[in-house]
Amino acid sequence: MSTSKTVNLQPPAPGEDKAETRDDMGKPATQRRSEVRLGREVQARIGQQLRAMYDDVVSQGVPPHIADLVGRLSEQDDGAA
Amino acid sequence: MKLDPAIRDQVLATVPSLRAFAISLCGNIDRADDLVQETLLRALAHIDSFQPGTNMPAWLFTILRNLFRSEYRKRRREVEDADGRYAETLKSHPEQTGRVEFSEFRAALGKLPSDQREALILVGASGFSYEDAAAICGCAVGTIKSRVNRARTRLADLLAIDSVDDFGPDRATRAVLAGGGRS
Repeated sequence: MSTSKTVNLQPPAPGEDKAETRDDMGKPATQRRSEVRLGREVQARIGQQLRAMYDDVVSQGVPPHIADLVGRLSEQDDGAA
Repeated sequence: MKLDPAIRDQVLATVPSLRAFAISLCGNIDRADDLVQETLLRALAHIDSFQPGTNMPAWLFTILRNLFRSEYRKRRREVEDADGRYAETLKSHPEQTGRVEFSEFRAALGKLPSDQREALILVGASGFSYEDAAAICGCAVGTIKSRVNRARTRLADLLAIDSVDDFGPDRATRAVLAGGGRS
């Protein structure tokens, strides 16, 4: 009985079949992959930080003095040129 | 005539994002709030030139940017002070970003040329399309794309080495970054 083939629902462990894959020359492929991966991670992090920084201000909402200003301006007659 | 409440609400809804953009331009919360106020004064005085149904945020951002360009940029030395009061607005920054890392990020952002910084913020943070960002900045779509790309590349250069530990890279990556020469 072949017990080794019973169930194979488990996906390969992450990186198991890829991380160490090399082209014929060995190192270069790994290095290139690292650079590409790092580039993507850096870009993802840049986007994340940019939005975090921006959203931190956005989450402060409308400051009361600006809400007052808009309220006043929108109520007044537009007589002034 | 009084302002249409629907228009007023659109204006108010844009204010938080407009402030965030203003702060990123000015690097100073007080000046940014002045700039937002001036923008709103001007916008509401000329509200009849806004076409209902068109993009209110893009319209207000355009006015704010033009004001900033024409008046605020003259005070460049102060403007380039990327730290100062700005840091105070960021006290409650999100947990996922460490304080040190966060200030490094702001410092790096502050080193970008202003046209690249604003393009990156409009597209990467404000969420405008390249087309809207181009309209806001009064330039071609291709120009915005290339500014955003240059900004990203430069930021990556400025941040990559210092942030390497935060990315949890494997040794191979670390070796690549260190250029093999340093440890």
